[in-house]
Amino acid sequence: MPTRLSFLRVLVRRLCAEHATIRRIHWKMSADGHGQAAYAVDLGGHTYSLVAISNDLPADQRSDRVIATAWDAAFVLFDGIATPTDIARIAEQAPKQEAGRFSPRDLVLSRANKSVRMWEATVAALRTGQQPESGMIRDIGYLMRTTAVYGNGKFGIADRTLIADRPGLEGPFAAEMLTVYLIRHFTLDLVQHVGGGTLDPDLARHIGIGNATGLGMAPFLVNHPVLLNNWIQARETALARVLARETMTKAQALRIKTLAQRAQKHLADWHVPAEDHDNVLRRLEEDWAIFLMHFDALPGHRPFAALWEAARDEMASLQELLAALLIEVCPEDVDDLVDGMGDRFGPLIVPFADTDVLRAAIKADWAWALAHDYEDTEQCRRFWYVSEAKLEPRLGDRFAEPGAELETPLDIARRVARLHADLPDRAQPVSEFTAHHPDHAHAINRVALLSRYPYAEIRDNLIAATCRPIDMLRCKLSFFGATKFDPKSDLWTRITLAQGAPLGDELRPEMDDWWLPAMER
Amino acid sequence: MSWTEIQTLGVKAASGAGVPPAQALAFGAMLARHVADDGPQGAVEAVLSEPERIVALAHRVETIVEAASVNNKPVSATEKDAGTRSMLVSWLTALPCKSELEIAGSKVRVSLSLSEPSARGRPERLYLNPSLSEQLNILAAKTYVPDSDASRAGGAGAGLMELD
Repeated sequence: MPTRLSFLRVLVRRLCAEHATIRRIHWKMSADGHGQAAYAVDLGGHTYSLVAISNDLPADQRSDRVIATAWDAAFVLFDGIATPTDIARIAEQAPKQEAGRFSPRDLVLSRANKSVRMWEATVAALRTGQQPESGMIRDIGYLMRTTAVYGNGKFGIADRTLIADRPGLEGPFAAEMLTVYLIRHFTLDLVQHVGGGTLDPDLARHIGIGNATGLGMAPFLVNHPVLLNNWIQARETALARVLARETMTKAQALRIKTLAQRAQKHLADWHVPAEDHDNVLRRLEEDWAIFLMHFDALPGHRPFAALWEAARDEMASLQELLAALLIEVCPEDVDDLVDGMGDRFGPLIVPFADTDVLRAAIKADWAWALAHDYEDTEQCRRFWYVSEAKLEPRLGDRFAEPGAELETPLDIARRVARLHADLPDRAQPVSEFTAHHPDHAHAINRVALLSRYPYAEIRDNLIAATCRPIDMLRCKLSFFGATKFDPKSDLWTRITLAQGAPLGDELRPEMDDWWLPAMER
Repeated sequence: MSWTEIQTLGVKAASGAGVPPAQALAFGAMLARHVADDGPQGAVEAVLSEPERIVALAHRVETIVEAASVNNKPVSATEKDAGTRSMLVSWLTALPCKSELEIAGSKVRVSLSLSEPSARGRPERLYLNPSLSEQLNILAAKTYVPDSDASRAGGAGAGLMELD
């Protein structure tokens, strides 16, 4: 579940606090919506531009996969106000995406495809002077969905370190979130241009920006252990602070009830085609409806902790929803934690004194990894790899497919188990051990990291036949602020971002109230 | 190229050369620092042809960090080969912790503050020699699994065409 610590929420909160306005600085668009646009926005004393290139994409080329080579629209977040020369250069390069070359003033590169159903219906409605049907907006939720949002130096764009100190962009993925928010603004602008009408703001606000996400997010979490630690630690600290409150003010009690009821409507709005995932949602909707009674009978002493205690035996997804709600109600306990969610410097690893200390650390923190028999084919069936086809991250069956010898080292649990088995009986300096076992250095580093960063590891066997990458994707996407998860398989999902967020001309502090938005009926 | 591009390319190239993951990760960080600080790129080309030298260099840095953590004092190392010494310096200055180095002839004296982050800046652009760039890309390509119909259809998420 998204929380007020989620990166898009943090970005929009900042935009609202600064009363930012989005200015259209360039518009060269055909009647059917193909051409160029650019928007400028001020944030933290800097100006950024979104340059958007809209193309006429044949239907048979529309794919959410990394291996796609053409898209409905391509975008660059540019550092400063994009001039006609900048726009012309970006128009040449951005549609090529991974095959293009970019400059240090290009901060983020992205692309998006239309939801053809939603797009065509919205255009058709506007052309006849009508508004699009609210049920369709509720069910689909976006006009376009991004299929990649690249930051941090990819394909020659700016390294994150170049902008990481700027006010408003200090947090993780802040530049990417700004891009996504501006893309949403562009899609609303474009559909009104093509439709020749104006969307009702209440409907427009409920149109977010979609995203299709595949396996690439899972390796990211494994390869950025300090970031993962800092995200989870912030969330856990936020929850602990709220639960430690002795009392609840009247305003908080009113707010928590209002939001709990809004969450109920949000769940009612959230349906997905995948039967197993929809079953979970329907049960959550039923359980939450029953759980609502606890908000009417709050004790005077430690009411937040009492709510949490009441959910002790509930399903995990209800507990997640409740945690997000509790965090939402107490911004004064939570919002400063955003400052600690980045990782400016990389992992600071302090070496172990000797192999006995290393073994003790494994025993203390890695029992979950030592519990598996990695010789069992089901415990090592999967292997993660990078395909030569546009370097798409993929997952294979090591006993049925070629390429396992090139597997990406995400098998952290197995590596630590092997390290543990090879440790000498008598203590020796770790460097003496690695002189004979250089392959174990990776596992040793991970053990050292977990000793310092308690939430740095996904405590599961990521090469087991039962591994579900979708759970990792959902974890990361919730920190982005994603809603309306729509899993298509265990390998990929669609989501919605910025649904309910203030529109580009509504960025004021009082408008930052869009946690789990619900379509008004 | 960006810093991240060169670092990532270095990690992949070292992996493609057969270097284990931890050492390949550290090599990538070293490479970006080395290029940023105008270290001799020919030395990197040479070491990529002998991956066991990368493993040895990584181990040497590990012993230096280990000694620094035990004694909390400066650690000295001697390296007569200028190319190897330049990479040792780049490797140490690429560590995420604060480091101070004194270099006199073949001797390198390093002070590490393991709990303090490095404050070294990064330039906007880095430039690879064409020959090193080619070598890195050839080695990196060895880490990619060849495409196949089965891999394309079942190895990742969405269908090949989406018409919602």
